[in-house]
Formats: sequence, C-alpha cells, structure tokens
Amino acid sequence: MSWMDDLRRLLRQAKQEPPAEEAPGGVPCGVALEYLFEWLDGEIDDPELSSIVGVHLETCARCYPLLTFERAFREAVHRATRSETAPEELRERVLRSLGSVGMSDS
Amino acid sequence: MARETDQNQSFREEALPHMDAVYRFSLRLSGNPDRAEDLTQETFLKGFENWGKYTPGTKAKSWLFTICRNVFLRGEERSRRHEEIVAETADQDPRGISKEATVFMEVGDRDPDAKFWSQVVDARIVRAIDDLPAEFRDAVVLSDAEDFSYEEISEILGVPIGTVKSRIFRGRRILQKELFRYAVQEGIVKDRPSHGGLDEKGGESK
Repeated sequence: MSWMDDLRRLLRQAKQEPPAEEAPGGVPCGVALEYLFEWLDGEIDDPELSSIVGVHLETCARCYPLLTFERAFREAVHRATRSETAPEELRERVLRSLGSVGMSDS
Repeated sequence: MARETDQNQSFREEALPHMDAVYRFSLRLSGNPDRAEDLTQETFLKGFENWGKYTPGTKAKSWLFTICRNVFLRGEERSRRHEEIVAETADQDPRGISKEATVFMEVGDRDPDAKFWSQVVDARIVRAIDDLPAEFRDAVVLSDAEDFSYEEISEILGVPIGTVKSRIFRGRRILQKELFRYAVQEGIVKDRPSHGGLDEKGGESK
C-alpha cells in the first residue's frame, strides 16, 4: 500500500472524528500522532508526508508537548546506554585472539 | 598475500571501531558482563573468519550485530514465552501504539518541559531496558541506543519491518511505564493523591 492510500485512509478516518479546532499542517492531531514515532525516527520516506506530519507536531499546541516528551525520552535512553564502553582488558584480549588466528599487528 | 593485508587493514578500519557497540549489545543480550566479554570476542573472531563475505564499505556495524546475536542465540534456549510475545506484537498496528501515550498523559501537566526523563539515573534506565522481554529489548536497543534504521533492524533480527516497528514502539511504552513507576516511587514525580500511579494492565487512565 502506498503512502497516498495510507493518507487517504487516515483522512477518511479523521473526518469521522469530531473536527479539530485547528489542524496545523493541514492534518488533524489523530493523523499526525499515528506517525509520531516514525517521524521522530526519521523513517517517513515520502518528503511530503514527512513535512506535513513535522509541521503539525512542531506547531500544534496539543501535540508539541508530547513530541517534547518523546524526544526527551529517546535522548535519555541514548545517553544512558551509550556511556558503557568495552573494558580495556577485553580490547586487548580480542586483539590477542585475532592475532592468533592471523590478523597482523598493523 | 597483498589481498590478505588488505583484508587485515579493512577489518581493523571497519570492524574494530565497533567494539564498544558490540560489547554494549552483548551486555544487553546476555545481561552479564563476563558472558558479554566472551560474546564480544566470539563475534570479532567469527567476523574476522568471515570477513571475505563482507562487502567493504557497507554496514559493518549491522553485519557484526547480526553475528553477535546469532552467536548469542545459538547458546540460548528460547522459552515459550518468546513465541507468545512475537505472536502478540506481530498482530498489533504499530501506528496505534504511537498514539497511546499513557505515561505522557500521567506526567504531562506536572512536567511540561519533560524534565522528568533527565532526572532518571542512567543505571536505572539501563536496568529497565535489561528487564524488558527480549524481543522488545533488542528492538529498542538497536533503534534508540545504536541508531539503526528500521530496515537494518529488520535485517539484524530477521523479522519484517512492521514487526520491527511494533516491537520498538511497544517496547518504548513498556519502558516508559516502568520508569514512571520508578520515578513516582523515588519521588521524582509527585504521585496524585487520588491515584496510585498507572494500573498494572497499563490501560488508558481516565
């Protein structure tokens, strides 16, 4: 299914929801929020769809706080996990074992 | 001989810089520093042995992660719980999950700038990740800690992209609930007097 079909389906669905007071980016909150994670992950391939969703999330008074929340969460996970590094003796051990199976020193 | 030297050099340049990342992934997979060291060593040995099959300049990191996970799984008995979780998440529409911001609803009005997450200590976040069911943990780690794309994660885990999304999104929601529970416990977030935090089932709060 193409993203256009996807979008049409979502817009159809959105029409059945109570009308939003305003729809930044031209889409209602429900539609933009369905794409929240994909947008945040930089995984919406179509530039037009990505831009519509982005404009909505960044400018909608109701959705922006959630976007901030999800961003901060993702950053916290990144920060917490990336602080771990391989111990120095492991590094040496791996290099030694690679040397023993034929990897040269330099 | 010259070819061998090239191989040595490209392995040094493309594979070895990922040792920290492979070690981190090994830690998450095994939950045990000793096992993680063995796993890292085995991954690099196997990688070196098979380096001829790797296309230089492509994605050495995801190539190594695939090896790492395979080495790990070979040494593991997978439980039945594993199958059940896979069946459950594969059915779920990932886009529905991104809309279910249960923890945000709880915390949002008390913490408009989302300072909450930066007050949770790193060690507690890491422990909560380690406690996730394996399927969710692997997907969240590959995405949010190691910055792989959905497509790369799909290759590493050997599952369709739809399943990758379900697992990442659902995994994030489980992790958020767990960390929120901890934050309330520790007084980082004030609990509502009339409300004992999120209910166990994680349903939408009123």
